[in-house]
Amino acid sequence: MLTGVSEAVYYILAAIIIGSGVMVVSMKNIFHSALFLVLCFFGVAGIYILLSAEFIAAVQVLIYVGAITILMIFAIMLTARLYSAQIKQSNEQVVPGLIIVSALLVITIFALSKTTWKLSSQAPETQTVAEIGKLLMTTYVLPFEIVSVVLLSALIGAIVIARRD
Amino acid sequence: MNYQLLLPETFLFLWAILIFVVDFFRKEKKYNLAYLALLGLIITIILVVISQKGDLFGGMFHGDSFATFFNLIFLITGFLTILSSVEYTKKLSSYPGEYFGLILLSMVGMMFLASAGELLTLYVSLELTTIPLFVLAAYRKDDFKSSEAGLKYLILGGMSSALLLFGISLIFGLTGTTFLKEIKTVLIVKYLATGEIGPALILSFIFMIAGLGFKLALVPFHMWVPDVYEGAPTPITAFLSVASKAAGIAAFLRIFFRAFLIFQVDWVLLIAVLASLAMIIGNIIALLQTNIKRMLAYSSIAQIGYIMIGVVSASATGVSSVAFYTFVYMFANMGAFITAITFSNSTGSDEIKDYAGLSRRSPALAAMMAVFMLSLVGIPPLAGFMGKYYLFSSAIEQGYIWLVVVAILTSVISLYYYLGVVRQMYFQNSIDENPQAITVSPALRTALIISVIGVLLFGIFPHIFLNLANQAAMVFLY
Amino acid sequence: MIGLNHFLTLSTILFCIGIFGVLTRRNAIGILMSIELMFNAVNINFVAFSRFVTPTALVGQIFAIFIITIAAAEATVGLAIVLLIYRNFKGINVDNINIMKW
Repeated sequence: MLTGVSEAVYYILAAIIIGSGVMVVSMKNIFHSALFLVLCFFGVAGIYILLSAEFIAAVQVLIYVGAITILMIFAIMLTARLYSAQIKQSNEQVVPGLIIVSALLVITIFALSKTTWKLSSQAPETQTVAEIGKLLMTTYVLPFEIVSVVLLSALIGAIVIARRD
Repeated sequence: MNYQLLLPETFLFLWAILIFVVDFFRKEKKYNLAYLALLGLIITIILVVISQKGDLFGGMFHGDSFATFFNLIFLITGFLTILSSVEYTKKLSSYPGEYFGLILLSMVGMMFLASAGELLTLYVSLELTTIPLFVLAAYRKDDFKSSEAGLKYLILGGMSSALLLFGISLIFGLTGTTFLKEIKTVLIVKYLATGEIGPALILSFIFMIAGLGFKLALVPFHMWVPDVYEGAPTPITAFLSVASKAAGIAAFLRIFFRAFLIFQVDWVLLIAVLASLAMIIGNIIALLQTNIKRMLAYSSIAQIGYIMIGVVSASATGVSSVAFYTFVYMFANMGAFITAITFSNSTGSDEIKDYAGLSRRSPALAAMMAVFMLSLVGIPPLAGFMGKYYLFSSAIEQGYIWLVVVAILTSVISLYYYLGVVRQMYFQNSIDENPQAITVSPALRTALIISVIGVLLFGIFPHIFLNLANQAAMVFLY
Repeated sequence: MIGLNHFLTLSTILFCIGIFGVLTRRNAIGILMSIELMFNAVNINFVAFSRFVTPTALVGQIFAIFIITIAAAEATVGLAIVLLIYRNFKGINVDNINIMKW
């Protein structure tokens, strides 16, 4: 199904995602972390294209890269003191954290590789945008409406919290 | 399709919008919007009671007796919360209208959560429940503890959502669907065909239990509770400790009883261990607390442990005892928090030692607090006793004697700190030479009377609601 | 051949990196970023399952869209609270949030 080229692309993207992910959680300067987060999100968008989910890739770039990280960079710059490199960014739980996380990693990967998934060999849907739009308005109309209420409450909440009195 | 089933949720949502709009046009005395919110809740309660039964969107939304039962719990809790917030919002510097609107929006989320029969709907409703609560926890903008509570709650909420979603994604991978009913069918077919599902199923149980465990504040996922409960505005703390937990329990029952009941050997023991940890650790740390809000925070951790005993039973009687206990826990815990709110409005203190001599200052208030404390311990003839009785008998029915032994031993420990409050009120003299009576506003008085009636009524006549709880449990039988 | 397990391994690694960040980062924005990593890992799972298990039904992709939307809503509220803390309590650290405090 996926040939040699996509194999190479996968490994490059995986390296970018994991590398920048590690940077996000380990950089001394929080501002640099945010920049690596952008890189990581781009890598994930590439993975989506590899999985023939172009629409999700576009949403990923628009919302994660275009909105969320920009918001975070704003927040970092507004709270200027935070990104001076002198502040210690990690707490004293690095060693126990590493132990817990590596145990979880080994167990999870082991359990997932021991599971037989019910794979389907059908060709993936190509008209994803139209199909997603249709599903959102038919089968998934209820969560679609609920998520609009979520956005409304987040909007009101953020204004109430952040506005000066 | 019968869209009338969505009437209570839609109505409550529109009412929340109405509150935002009215708030926009009112210039002063905005705390009076509380009464508008209360009116909306009363109408919604009526709508829920008379609502029809049925499914919508191919099983995405269940308007069944289970949903009705939990909706009543959310609505009554919200009613008591808003009643006890009237005085509180007078002191808020800004935005009292949005405060009530956000509570209503959060309750809309809970109502959808209790009705969800599909994982995407369930997740989205869960977020609708929690996102307004992050804001409400941080509502006292001039208080650092409140802001910190909001931030902590948000971070833990986000992390627990991610854990829950990781579990859900594995379930989706195993079955190719998000409808709980289909998940069950696909898993059974696969199990019958191959004799095993694979370790990913157990892994997904662990992730989902961890995710929901954070929301329910089970030990060891409880570390956010004391700080958030102490920092948040007290009415919101009360709301968190009852309504948001009830929502978590409803979600838990929906997922695990609807889809995974036949695989119970894989998750029941884990829940049993978590429940006993919650009872032991919650009760022991509660012993050490001197602040009433922190004490009630740890006691609520222990109470969730008791509720989980009914889940461990994995039977219809188990579910009905969980629903019934949640219902009576609501009255006792809300009552205790409302007493604490009343006391702190008048004296500005949340310290248990300041409750000394309360029986002479305000005999009625002290008596009610004593009733709530005794109900939380589970002393007959109060509602808490009947609740615990049903929980324990459902566990004994299924042979979990050791769990009941742990529960009874830890109840004895809890006797000490709950009665500690009673002892302060009745047998200690006030430090103050000339203690004033506590002033109780009409709204708070109403809230207290509703709670005390609930605790007494359902202790003496538990059958009124036990029948409804049994009906709610029938949902999971087919 | 790149199969489903490749993508699952990648997402598990990313998820664990995220958990590590939540446990060890000291300041709120750092923790929020780590949570976003976890959400991305979950989304890779959903899209990969959607591609390999149900290639013609787009349920997994729909799920991913909702997760992205809600992540944005949560991040907005989170950063609003961070800004509030920073503005009202300049002297007090935003960067002292330990998740594993007992």
